[in-house]
Parts: sequence; C-alpha cells; structure tokens
Amino acid sequence: MRHRHALLSLVSLTLLAACRESKVESYRVPKEKPEELPPGMAAGGSPGAPAAPGSMDMASTTVPTASGSDLTWTAPAHWKAKPAAAMRKGSFTVPGDNGAEADLSITAFPGDVGGELANLNRWRGQIQLAPLSEGDLRGVTTRIEQHGLTFIVVDFANTDAAGPRRILGAIVPYNNATWFFKLTGPDALVAREKPAFLAFLQTISAPAPAAP
Amino acid sequence: MNDTVRQFRDFFVSLRLTVVLLALSMILVFAATLDQVNLGIWAVQEKYFHSLFVLWRIPGTAIPLPVFPGGYLIGGFLLVNLISAHVYRFKLTWRKSGIFLTHAGLILLLIGELLTGLWQEEFQLRLKEGETKSYAESYRYNELAIINTTDPKFDDVVAIPDQLLADQTPIQHPHLPFRVMTKEYYPNADLRMRASTGDNPSLATAGLGPQITVTPLPLTYKQDERNWPAAFVELVGPEGSLGTWLVSPQLPAPQAFEYGGHSWRIGMRAQRAYKPFSLQLEKFSHDVYVGTDIPKNFSSRLHLQTADGRDDREVLIYMNNPLRYAGLTFYQASYDGEHTTILQVVRNPSWRLPYISCAMVALGLIVQFGIHLIGFIGKRRAATA
Repeated sequence: MRHRHALLSLVSLTLLAACRESKVESYRVPKEKPEELPPGMAAGGSPGAPAAPGSMDMASTTVPTASGSDLTWTAPAHWKAKPAAAMRKGSFTVPGDNGAEADLSITAFPGDVGGELANLNRWRGQIQLAPLSEGDLRGVTTRIEQHGLTFIVVDFANTDAAGPRRILGAIVPYNNATWFFKLTGPDALVAREKPAFLAFLQTISAPAPAAP
Repeated sequence: MNDTVRQFRDFFVSLRLTVVLLALSMILVFAATLDQVNLGIWAVQEKYFHSLFVLWRIPGTAIPLPVFPGGYLIGGFLLVNLISAHVYRFKLTWRKSGIFLTHAGLILLLIGELLTGLWQEEFQLRLKEGETKSYAESYRYNELAIINTTDPKFDDVVAIPDQLLADQTPIQHPHLPFRVMTKEYYPNADLRMRASTGDNPSLATAGLGPQITVTPLPLTYKQDERNWPAAFVELVGPEGSLGTWLVSPQLPAPQAFEYGGHSWRIGMRAQRAYKPFSLQLEKFSHDVYVGTDIPKNFSSRLHLQTADGRDDREVLIYMNNPLRYAGLTFYQASYDGEHTTILQVVRNPSWRLPYISCAMVALGLIVQFGIHLIGFIGKRRAATA
C-alpha cells in the first residue's frame, strides 16, 4: 500500500504540471518617464511590446487608418526603411557621420490626440525643452498647405544638453485622424537633414478619391 | 496485497510498458516536429509536450478529442515505470551499481523536465541605450493594467492577466473602487480607425475605443509573429457603469480617466515581472563579419543597481555569456537596430538538474562498463594463467 501511495502522488504531481495560475496582482512602482512614441499619447505605455524570441522586430501590424486610406509619401533615397512596428505607419533610419543616426517615425492616431499644444510640448519634453504656452505657438510653428492637407511644422533643438538633440516634426490632421512625422536625433545630423525632411513633406499626399 | 494492487504493480513495473512508452515518445516527437511547420515552436510545446493528451478538435466544432498521449503523460508514466521497476524488480548490488546510477540520472532528468515545465518563466527585457528598467516583459502573455496615477511620485498598479479577461470573470479588487467586467475578448485582432459611415457601433463608450473598429483574426502560430489581443472592458462603480474601454497592446499608451477624486489609466500591455533591481543599457555593440551583414558578436554593457545599494556595478552580457543574478539568467537574445538590445530573462530554479543528471548517466555508464571490463580482464587472466 505504501508503494501505491507513492505512485499515486507521483501521478498527481504529473497532473499538476498541466496547471498554470492566473491571479490579479497589485503593486506600487515609481513613476515612469513618458515613452518616446507616440507624441500626444505617451504616458507610461509600452509601445515596444515584445516580439517572439529570436526575431529582429515585432510583427508588423496594421495601424488604424481612416476608411483604409493612408497618406502616401516618397522618402529620400539615403533614408533606410525599417520594418514598421506596432502603431508606426512608416519608419526610417537616417544615417549620419561616425555611426550617428536619426529616426524618422510616421504614426497616425484617431482624433486630435490631445491637441496641437499638448503634442508639441510632449516632443519638447523628449529633448528636455521647457513647455510652450498657447501664446508661444504662433512663433514656433509654420503652417504649410499643400495637396489639400495642412502641415504644422516645427523645429525644436536643445543645444544646451551634453548630447545636443533636435526634433523636426510635422502634424497633419487627415480624415478624423492625426498624422505625426517626426525626425529626431543628434542636433547636427537633424539640422543637416532639414532640407531633405522638408522635401519629404512635400511628397506627402492623400490618395485620390475613388472614381464613382 | 490484493489482486487490483498487484495488477497495478505488474503493469507499472513491466519492461513491456517501458518499450511501449519509448515507442510512443518517438512517435510524439516525430509528429510534433512535423507539426512545427503549422503551429510554430510555442504551440507545439503546449500541444504535444506540456499536456497530458494531444487534443484534436472535431472539424466544425469546438469539441476536443484526446487522440494521443501527451508529453506529461508519457514522461510521468516513464518516471513511475522506472521508479517502480527499481523498487520491485532490481536489487542493488555492486555489480549493477552503474546501471542504478544511470537510471537515477534518467529519473532526475524526467523530474527536472517536470519541474522546468512547472517553474520555468521566460521574459524579455528590451532596452534602448540610456534606458533603465526594473521589469521584464512576457513574450506571450498580456495583462490589463489599471493604474492609479494620483500620487506624484508613484503609480499604484493592479495587473489582471489576460487569461482572466478571456474567461470574462468579473473582477473586484480591494485597490479598485470599481468592478472590472469584460464584455468581449479577442485573442488576436486587427484595429483600424472607424470609417465615418458603414461600421457597426463600437462596444466602447470611453477613451479611444469608440473611434476604432476591432476585427477578430485567427490565432497565429508563426515564430516571428505574435498575437495582438484586444478586449472591451467595462468598469462598474457603486452608482453604475463608468464606461467601456477598448484595450489592446496595439494602443501604445494607457487611456486616462478620472474617478472618485483619483486619476486613473487603463491599458493592456505585455505582462510585466518587476524585479528588486534595475538594469540600464549603457552600450549595445553589434559586430558583423567584415564585408557582410552576418552577426559575429553582439553584447550589452549594462549597469546593475539594487534599490538598497547593495549592488551597483557594470555587467557585460554577450552571446554564450549570460548574467546570472537573483535566480534569473539574462541571455543576449536579439537586438533591434543599432542601439536597442533584447535580453531573454529566464527563471528556472531547476536549471542545474539536467547537467547533474547527464553527469550521473555518464558516470553510471563508465562505472558499468568499467566493472564489465575489469571482470573480462580478470577472466582472461585466469584463463591464460
């Protein structure tokens, strides 16, 4: 009988192996810094959701778009396309000298995503610049109308930091969504890329409406 | 001993059972290897090895039928078979000490696999240069995080595993002044912005949800893809519903709301495991063979720090040189671009068992062959003398 008990307990242990516990947990953690992406929505989320082990990047996912129609663009030849990550419509690496790199991200979100001022201040926070007030907006933004779209273009640089950084950005409301085009990286590289970025903005257009 | 017990004993100690189990395990491994093409490694492990039975769903229904013994059943029976054979059939003598040691090694190997299945946890840690994290994230599991952000220094988090959302269990937690009710859960879904016309109204009434349509997708099993769950979650306070939110790891940040004089955020994210220490990525290096894109070596220089200041040092992790710390092993697993490292974080308290069992099997075989060799030499000497 003693042995039978031993066998039974072993079988029970084997059966237990099939169980995994799911329980609610609660804990307190220090506040996290806002995430880099996306502007206007970042507040401690996790856009870099993990990929399966061994993979280079997370699976590309379709980002919410209005009626399935996306803005289109043509990137300069020297920008290297990266696989689109979650919520990114497009992603490019802009190479510079001595291994320096800037990142061009294209994201789109429903609605106004907190408004122009909140988004621009979020960008400023990412390069440790003080936030702007509503009254300052006119002085720092350039509005460009083209292809039926309105571009709010900004150029923010923090040259006081140990590693000077710059953000060139454009916010484009389109079809009940807000599109963000942001080039961020070392000050010198991003400043050098400004003409290419502005030329890139000129290639952005909405798809032509379908023929009736 | 009555007849039933004797029958049980005879069944478990028989060599025939050993042979049948070994044959079944070979078929299981073969079928699982072929099925990796369809399911990928994770699902194959769950379906064939971390299960008592391999289940097959009757086409067109959700009814599962057990069609073959799974890894836990075969492994469990092998373990019982091996132990009971030793208890009832074998007698420990010096001449058979090698066989005993080898079998003890095998028993330890089977127990080790069982404990690994029970205890092992795998997470990943994704760090950009300069970034500090004190948590690792699950590859496969997600959680609904409801965060009280009222305190200016701390966040109070209630994390609900997505399995509970999938079960649609109402959740009442002492740290939440409302109940969490799951209205819908999709294990994999595509999110798109709602067209101005034509879509059905959303279940969501608050946050971003009303502007997004959710299309359920079939589960993916490919190794380089992941499932993106989504759920509609309703929060219900004493005075009624606060609203229904759409949550998904595809939405990149938790959605904010105010309730009961507190600021809250709600969102679904990869399941997190917080640690009592933090790691900051100082430098990620990625070397390739000259003139090619083939990786030669990649390494991460990190700064490890505990809150109590007991540890404050630099560590270097590179291929085949993991960091073992606080019961965790950090492997250099992958990278994303030139400045982001991806570390695999594994907790497996039984990681030493396979090494010990292999050493025992090897030593047992050496002892057994040694005993035979000495006996053989002795006989030859006696014959020639």
